[in-house]
Parts: sequence; structure tokens; C-alpha cells
Amino acid sequence: MISWMRHQKHALTSALRRLRAQPVATLLTALAMGVAISLPSGLYLMLDNLNRLAGDLPAQPEISLFLDAGISPAQNQAIAARLKQPDIAQARHVPKDEALAALSSAQDLSDITAGLTENPLPDAWVVRPKAHTREELTRISEILEKLPGVAETHLDSQWAERLQAALGIGRTGVWMLAGLFAIALVAISGNAIRAQVLVRRDEIQVSRLIGATDRYIRRPFIYLGALQGLLGGLAAGGVLALAGWQLQPPVEHLANLYGSAFRLLPPSSSEIAVVLGLTTLFGWLGAWISVTRALRQVESTR
Amino acid sequence: MISFSQVTKRYPGGHEALSSVNLTIEQGELVFLIGHSGAGKSTLLKLIAAIERPTSGALTVSGQNISRLSHRAVPYLRRNIGLVFQDHKLLFDRNVIENVVLPLDIAGFDRREALKRARAVIDKVGLLNREKANPISLSGGEQQRLCIARALVSRPALLLADEPTGNLDAGYAADIMAMFRDFHQVGTTLVIATHDDRAITALGGRILRLEHGKVEEVTA
Repeated sequence: MISWMRHQKHALTSALRRLRAQPVATLLTALAMGVAISLPSGLYLMLDNLNRLAGDLPAQPEISLFLDAGISPAQNQAIAARLKQPDIAQARHVPKDEALAALSSAQDLSDITAGLTENPLPDAWVVRPKAHTREELTRISEILEKLPGVAETHLDSQWAERLQAALGIGRTGVWMLAGLFAIALVAISGNAIRAQVLVRRDEIQVSRLIGATDRYIRRPFIYLGALQGLLGGLAAGGVLALAGWQLQPPVEHLANLYGSAFRLLPPSSSEIAVVLGLTTLFGWLGAWISVTRALRQVESTR
Repeated sequence: MISFSQVTKRYPGGHEALSSVNLTIEQGELVFLIGHSGAGKSTLLKLIAAIERPTSGALTVSGQNISRLSHRAVPYLRRNIGLVFQDHKLLFDRNVIENVVLPLDIAGFDRREALKRARAVIDKVGLLNREKANPISLSGGEQQRLCIARALVSRPALLLADEPTGNLDAGYAADIMAMFRDFHQVGTTLVIATHDDRAITALGGRILRLEHGKVEEVTA
């Protein structure tokens, strides 16, 4: 156990020494990884911010139910009863007087409404169904429209729904991109480690002759790959920080023009930790594949 | 310690380096392998260290059957064997003491203990004042002594040397052979392949002549 710890420490310091011995190669590999990682994580951040923007809008779809002017009390009760059924999450009755008052104050149309001799607005219900899918909502809307005493129904928030759908596609795209770039990361790391193994051929052969296990030989290279991946993750963080710093002023300007307090938010610390963890993992994986393959080659050309 | 029974080694291409060799080497023996180059001296040493595997026959080293030794067990066998090469096989990307400490690092020694032992061995081969030097700046004789220090630092029971004095002039060669005699006296088993007759007569020990893949005892 103690000797295992010693081996880990030895491999780690040896990997660090190798990284420091070749600062330019280390930097270039980290940059290549950083650029590769910054694409999917940048897209993720963009979607995250857009999602936050869309979250301020009523994403919950609502159905507005406008009633006939000459509706009977019995019909009114039947509608109220129907809206208590389990497929409806919430229903709010809006009498026409209340609607007129809201209209006057909210839209600053008091001049116009004051000139009206009678209230032209119908009584209405604002209904929030439990369903979210487009088909379900349309179906419920049609059922409600056929109730006696209902003049018209209106399905709201269509565009918010469309935005959500678009963001959904974007999210799928992020995962696909992330998968592709993870493969790229493994390849970059594997390639860098392969070069290292070939440079250290003599050392590997001598170590084998004096009793080194394959695991002992492999370990520093794997640490090297993991460290390289970590550096790549940090480089991606740098690229994104730079991009965010460049984008913040124009985004603020645009938001101000729309009278919004929207600001770009940086990733949370747990998101950063996940990205660094994943890049380290994929660097490790690439190194493992590469060094295992390369060791087999070194052995066969003994 | 080492026992060959009907051991044959044939290389791909058909060259038979050893033919049905029978040989036993006891613990603590000092054995010289002589014979012209290509007679199979290196092959014999490589078989003992499991660098090559016998084509047929049974070979046991320290109680382990080399023909059946698994790939995973080879490193542990080698940790009990010190190897001295004619071309030294030193690493030029690190200094003298780091070269010597390598086998102890591999075996998982405490770093401070390892450095202490390495320094003691370097002192024994007379390189203590070159501890921090890069091996490339050492003379041929010094490089060979460094190689011996690395072979001995883990205190192996068995030392195999392939032409250890091959590239050295007489003075250095005598030094090295004297060093081997000291190790023999403290109980290490030594198998030394050489064509250097000068050294052998000075040291005594058992002499085996290899010719056309066959081994015969030489009685002085």
C-alpha cells in the first residue's frame, strides 16, 4: 500500500517534470484541447443564457375561454364544473368588468375605455391545463370550445413553446458536439502520449530489463495524459472567459435597448468542475489507449 | 540456482544458438562463459534473465520455470537479477545517482532510503565524486562501473554480465574484474560472459566454453 502510494507520487512528479521540460509542446497541446472543448461548452453556455431569457416568459401554455354574452347561469355552472376536472391544473374566472379595468390601467387606454358606453369585453376564463404537448393542448382547447356558452378559445404562448422546442434541439446538438469533441480530445491526448512513448523508448526498455512492470512504465504517461487534459480544460475556460468578456458589453447594450436587465452569466463552479473532470478523464483515457498500444510495439521490436 | 536441462534455443530463421544444453550453476558460484562471438554466450544470459524464452527444454532460475513464466511474473524475476551490459544501457537524461536509484524506484523503495543505498553503491564503484554528473561525461570504464552499480543496488542474488570489459583497456578491465571478485566473496552468484582471457586467469572460478551451441567445462 505504501509502495503503491510511492509509485503514484513518483509517477505524478515525473509527469509534472516532463510537462515542465517541454513548455511549448505542453502549451500547444493544451491549446488544441482547449479550442476543441470550448466549442461545445461555449454552445452550452449560450443555450443556458438563452434558456434563462426564455424562462422569464410564460412558458406554461394557457387557454383563454371567452363566453357568450347571453350565457345562462346553468351553462356558467356547467363550464365551472368542467374546469374542475383533473386535466386542468388551474382555472381563473375573469369577469368582463375586471378585464376592462385591467385593460384601462395596464395598457394606459383609460381615455379610450372611458368613452365606451358599455363594456365590449366578454366574461372569460384563463385555463392552465396539466398537459404540455401540442396535441393534448389542442384537444383540450377543442373540447372546451364545444361547451355550450363558450364563444371562442384561444391557445396562448405558442411562440414560447416553439422557443422551447428550438432550445431542445440546441441541447441535443450540444450533446452530439460534446461527444464528437470528446473523441477529438482522446485522439489529441493519445497522439501526444504516443510521441512521448517513442521519445522515451530507451528508458522503457532499460526499465523493463531491470524489473519494471508494465503498470509502472504506463503510470507516468497516464498521469501525463490526465494532466494534459486538465490543462486543456483550463485553456477552454480561458477561451470562454475571453469570449464572455468580449460579448458582455454588446449584450448589455442590446438588453438595455429592450429595457431588459438581462446579463450574460458565467458557468457555475460545479459546471466548471464537471468540464475539468471530463477533460481530465478523456485525457487519461487517450493516454491509456495510446501507451498500451505503444508498449506492445516497443516490446515486439525488442 | 540455475539449471538447464536439454535447453535448445532456435531463433526465427532457423539459427540454433543453443543445442540441448545441460548445465547447473549453484548458489555463490563464479562462472565465466567463454567462446568466440556468436557462440551463444549472450543467448544463454538472455535465457536466464527471461529476455528470451527457450525453444525447448526446461530452464529453472531461483526455483522458477522460465519456459512457463507468465509475462506478469517476469519483472519480479528480474528484480533478483543484476544485469551488466556491454553497451551499459545508461539513461543520459538523468545524472549518475538517478540512474542508480532507478531499480529501487521501480521496486517501490522509500526515496530517502533509496538514495542512501544508491550512494553507498556508487561509493563502492568509486564514482561518489561524480554523483551529479551526466553519464555521458563519464569515460568508458566509469560508465561500465555505473552500470555495475545499477545492477547491484537492489542487492541481487545473481549478477549476469555480458562482456563487461569488452570495450575497456587492460587497466579498467582489471579494476572491474577485481570488483566482481569482491561481490563473489560476499556470496553473490556471478555469471560473466567474456572473451578476455587476462581476467579469467587472475580470478579463478569455473570456466564454461560455448562452441556451436554446446557447453563444455574447461578445467584449468
